[in-house]
Order: sequence, then C-alpha cells, then structure tokens
Amino acid sequence: MGQVTLQGRMQAPNPIADDGDEEHFCSTCAFGSVCLGSGVDKVALHDLHCLVEHVGAYRTGDAIFRTGERFNAIYAVRAGAVKTRLVDLEGRELVLGFHLPGELIGLDAIDPETYPCDAIALGEVEVCRFSFPALATLATRAPSIQLELFRRMSRDIGNAALLAGDYSADERLAAFLIVLGKRYADRGFPVHTLTLAMSRGDIANYLRLAAETVSRVLRRFQDRGLIHVDGRHVTIAKPAELFDLARPILQR
Amino acid sequence: MDNSRAVPVFDRALVARYDVDGPRYTSYPTAPHFAGDVGETSLRRAILDSNEEPIPREISAYVHLPFCLSPCFYCGCSRIITRDRTRIGGYLARLYREIETVSVLFARDRSLAQLHFGGGTPNFLDADQLVELIDALGRHFTFSRRADREFCVEIDPRFCDGDYARRIAEAGINRLSIGVQDFDPDVQRAVNRVQSIEQTREVMLGAREAGVRSINLDLIYGLPRQTTDSFARTLEAVIALHPERIAAYGYAHLPERFPAQRQIDKFELPDASTRLGLLQLAVERLTAAGYRYIGVDHFALPGDDLSRAADAGTLHRNFQGYSTHAACDLAGFGMSAISHVGDTYSQNARDLPGYYGALDQGHLPAVRGLHLSDDDRLRADAIQQLMCAGTLDIAAFETRHLVYFGTYFQRSLEALRPLAADGLVECTPERITVTPRGQFLLRNIAMCFDAYLGAANGPVRYSRAV
Repeated sequence: MGQVTLQGRMQAPNPIADDGDEEHFCSTCAFGSVCLGSGVDKVALHDLHCLVEHVGAYRTGDAIFRTGERFNAIYAVRAGAVKTRLVDLEGRELVLGFHLPGELIGLDAIDPETYPCDAIALGEVEVCRFSFPALATLATRAPSIQLELFRRMSRDIGNAALLAGDYSADERLAAFLIVLGKRYADRGFPVHTLTLAMSRGDIANYLRLAAETVSRVLRRFQDRGLIHVDGRHVTIAKPAELFDLARPILQR
Repeated sequence: MDNSRAVPVFDRALVARYDVDGPRYTSYPTAPHFAGDVGETSLRRAILDSNEEPIPREISAYVHLPFCLSPCFYCGCSRIITRDRTRIGGYLARLYREIETVSVLFARDRSLAQLHFGGGTPNFLDADQLVELIDALGRHFTFSRRADREFCVEIDPRFCDGDYARRIAEAGINRLSIGVQDFDPDVQRAVNRVQSIEQTREVMLGAREAGVRSINLDLIYGLPRQTTDSFARTLEAVIALHPERIAAYGYAHLPERFPAQRQIDKFELPDASTRLGLLQLAVERLTAAGYRYIGVDHFALPGDDLSRAADAGTLHRNFQGYSTHAACDLAGFGMSAISHVGDTYSQNARDLPGYYGALDQGHLPAVRGLHLSDDDRLRADAIQQLMCAGTLDIAAFETRHLVYFGTYFQRSLEALRPLAADGLVECTPERITVTPRGQFLLRNIAMCFDAYLGAANGPVRYSRAV
C-alpha cells in the first residue's frame, strides 16, 4: 500500500460538519432559522435538542425509510445527499427529488401516517432524526417551530411542481443546476461549485429525460462556457446566462 | 515563465549522475503494485459507476494480441512464440466473448476515442482477421467520428506489407507504430530480429497512401553490438523514412525476469558510457532533423497531434507512453491487458490457461488490480502534471485536491531539493517547473512523488532511468 499522508489535508467545504451545542444548532440545521432572530426560548431549543438523534452513516443505496413503513419521525440531512423515489410493480423507479444538507425528508408522511416513498442515501449520508410525536408536542408550545414546519411543507410541494411543465431539456437542466446551486449556497457551501451526489441516471429520471440527453445538454453548456464539468464536480461559470436559460421555469 | 516549452537540454554529465533504476510511470501506482483483491466484480462495478458521471468519459480500448512468429531476444512483453497460426482461432473466440461481455456494461452514448492493438505481434492476425476484429469492436462500441480519434496498430514489418496496411487503414486505423529497434544487420542478428529498411518503407508507403496520418517508429538503444557509429546510421535511415513520431527506448537487461533475454550475451552490451552516448546521439540527430522531444523516450514532428497536445498542455501519459486523449476510461482486452476505469485498475490473467479458463466459465478474466486511494490519486496527478505539462501549479493543485501542498508533499519537496540544486527543477511557492535540463530526467523527478519507492513491499525491479 502507498503510505498515506493525512497531514496537509484541508477541511472539506462541508459546513454541516460541526455538531452544535446546547445553545446553537449545527450550522446548517433544518431548524437553524427558527432560532435565528425569532427568539425561540432557550427551553424550547433545549427540548428540540433532546428529541434529535444523529443517525448514520448510511452508505450508497441504504434506505433511511421505505414506502409503507409507519411514519414516526422526520429527518434532516446532516451530510451527503438523499433521493426520494417510488418503485412501481414492474420495478421501475421514479425519482421524486434530492435532499441536501439542512433539508427535511419525511414531511409528506405526516398525513398518511406511513412513508409514501423510499429515501435512499447517495454516497455517505448522516441524518438527524426528529421523533414526530415529540416534535408535534413541542410545536404546540413553540409556534415558530410549527411555522417553520408548515413553510417547509409548502416549499417541498413547490419544488415538486418545478419540473412538471412542458419544458425543453435545456431549460430543465439549467433550472436543475441553478436551483441545486442556490440550495447548496443557502447552506453555506461554496457558491457556483456543486458536487453532484446523484448519478446521471437519477438526474435523467428526475428531469424525465434520457441519460444521454442529460450528458449531451451538459456538454453543450460546457462547450458554450456556461459550466465546467470535471467528474462529478460542476462549476457554474456564467450563472446569469444559465439563469436566462432557466427563466421560463424559475419565473413561472 | 513557462519553461516547459523551452528546448530541452541534454546535459550528459547530469544525466549520467541520475542514471538509476526507476519506473517509467505509464501509470501510478505502477503495475507491480497490483494485488489479487481486485477482479471481475470490481471491474464491473467500476464500469457501471463510470456511466453515472454527468458527462461520462470517452473510452480508450487496448487489445492485446500476444502471439509472435519468432522471439526477439530483448523483449519484455507478455507474448507467446508459435509458428502455428491456427492458434489464433481459439484466442479470438475468447477475445470476442470478452468484448461482448464488457462492451454492454458501458453506456452506449460513450464513444470510443482511442483504440490500440498491441502485442506480441498484432499482425500475427492476417488482414481479414484484424479487419473483422476492428469491425466487431465497431459494432459493440460507438466509434468516435471525430478527426482526432487515435486508432493504432503495432506492426512488425517483417510479416506485413503495403496491402495489409491499406486494408486496416480502410477499416479505420489512422496510426501505426512500427517496430524497428535498429537497422544494423549485426545488431539485428544479436537480437534475432532481421528486418530491412525496404520492408519498413513498404508498410509505411501503403499506410500513407491509405490515409494513415501518423506513423511511429520504435528504436531501442543499449542493444548488444550497438556502437555510436552503427546507431548513427540507423538514425539517419529512420529520419529518411520521415515518421511523424519516434520512440527511443533504453534496453533493460533483466534476464531473471524475461527469459528471452538470456539469449543475449551480456558482454556484447554497450557499457554505461556508450549507452549514454547512444541516447545523446539520438537526441541530437532527431532534434537536428526537426523532431521535438516530448518526454520520456518520445519524439514527434511539430505538426503531429502529439506535439500540438504538448503545446496545448493536453498531453496525457498512459500505458502506450504519451497520448493526446486525456481522461478516457481504459478498457483492456486480451491476455494480460490492463483496464483503468474510474479509480480502479484491473489486469487480466497473464497466461492463456487463466485467460481462457475464466471466459470459458462465463467470467471476466480480471485477476489483479488496485483501487486508487486518495493519496494515490493526488500523487498520480502531481506526476502527470510534471511529466506531461512540465509544470505543476501549486494553487490549482491545492484547489483541486483540498490539501496544503507544502505540508502534504513535505517529503517530496525535500527529495526534490538536490534535484533543484542540480538545476533539474525550479521550486517556487507558486509552482514546480521542470527545467530544459530536467526534461531528460522526468522519471527521476516523478520518483520524488512516489510513495511506493523504498516501501517494504518486496523487491520490484525496474529498468534504468536512462
């Protein structure tokens, strides 16, 4: 084996890495914005901490929950990325969405009381598990937490509708990259540099395109200097022009 | 500022001082470090994973054809000597099965940009057989239609003619690599490879008429009975043939590893000083004739793709030496062939029973290999930068790999210090640059970044750096 030198490694740009403490949440916590500014009382914050459980690491392909399992918790992604999907009777997969650090999964299970989809780890994933009965009780005491939950649920629904219209492959991929970039940037990751945790097949499935089309369009974007692709790393070189392409979807 | 484009300087005293054993870094880690824990499953997974990148890499295919009609005594390749041409039938049957099995794993929209037939002697196959093999590859893979694709066959001109070259060129081959080694009859007898200039010229003419745009001639210095006078005549003849590329390899006498070399009388080998003189002569004559030194053993005319890639900074080092296609996934077919897909190297069984047995039982014949560690990837990149671009931009490297270069490579930088003092490299906080004098000692520079050297990992014998 090669002699492995760990000295000299930089900290990877993953703002989720810190664990938070009694008074502060992990820096990209799903509920971080609840405390910031809105003055959640210390007791509520403490209670929220108590019902959080760090789970993982999951590895590629592991399920965090599966369709039909009884709903008892929502999850926040701490590190890595998670895809939600349905699998039909013939075994065909339908990718519903991708969830990045700081984002919640399982919200759509609150009503049916069973999980309506699978949540699958893409790469190495860590999550925070919020026991739902406990969270619901806390929410009645801390209205800001309840409000945040409602906001999250409506935003999730908005994201799902994003790609349902009759748009071209270029528009879909441009919107996909812009939205993904914004979601990463919102959580403190470097602006305009993305690491795509999801496979080409997953992206294609989610955007309802052929895998070859995804690559062909990305290559065209790259040839036009809009993006630079290196393995799974994508740099958005001309965000304004990419946004222009995505405008029909993003400014509906 | 960019010294990599300056004309390399052959400093004989300096080169003599750095004449030590070392790898040629056609890969890092080098093949002797492959182990048995990587095989068929790893290769299959690596290919499927490689399809899932946003823009999957293009494919480079290497096809090994191990049979030779007669043994060249210097040879260190995986080959089988036989005069029984029918033996190729059984081999081709397995090769086709391997191609069918592997090709379906690659996503169909990934084009094959590079194809190399090596050996052994690829033209042990008759023209019909080789054309059929190329056609079959074209059915199973999507051949790139771009003009810069490189489809190459290694040719032994003793068993080839102009018509053969035309046939394979029409099938899509646009490069040939022709073995010459030396035109001196005395040297040729000592290495059991008697080959005339006319045979070589006929193949080249046929190929050129059919549109082959780049021909490489292989030379070897350090062979028995070679003198500077005889080698000067060989160089003159080679230059007159006007190949686009020339490779001049140093002969590595390792008879304990390569049994054929036991036929060579070691007392007929040129001494270290003559050997160095032969290399110096090659550099001087080829440079004077307009060839450009590309790096480790390789020369090319300024108009050739290899020279253009060197200018553009897009050279890439691979198992064939240097190439113009960066970052392909390499699929190796045939006995002993190496695949490099994503971060996985895997090598096929190195004997016929192993190769045939696996395929006959429905398996891929990959038996050993290596998964690149993070450390391997970093060092491979550093070596690639220095050997291909001649310079390493430290800030760009740090951004790419998230390391503090000075800390991470502290030992390498210490090892480089005497080389810097000798004027092989210039080290500044911003970059490491190979000097014109260092261009002939790229292997020595790369060795400073090799974490496997000196490791307690059993003896691995390499050829001399010069």
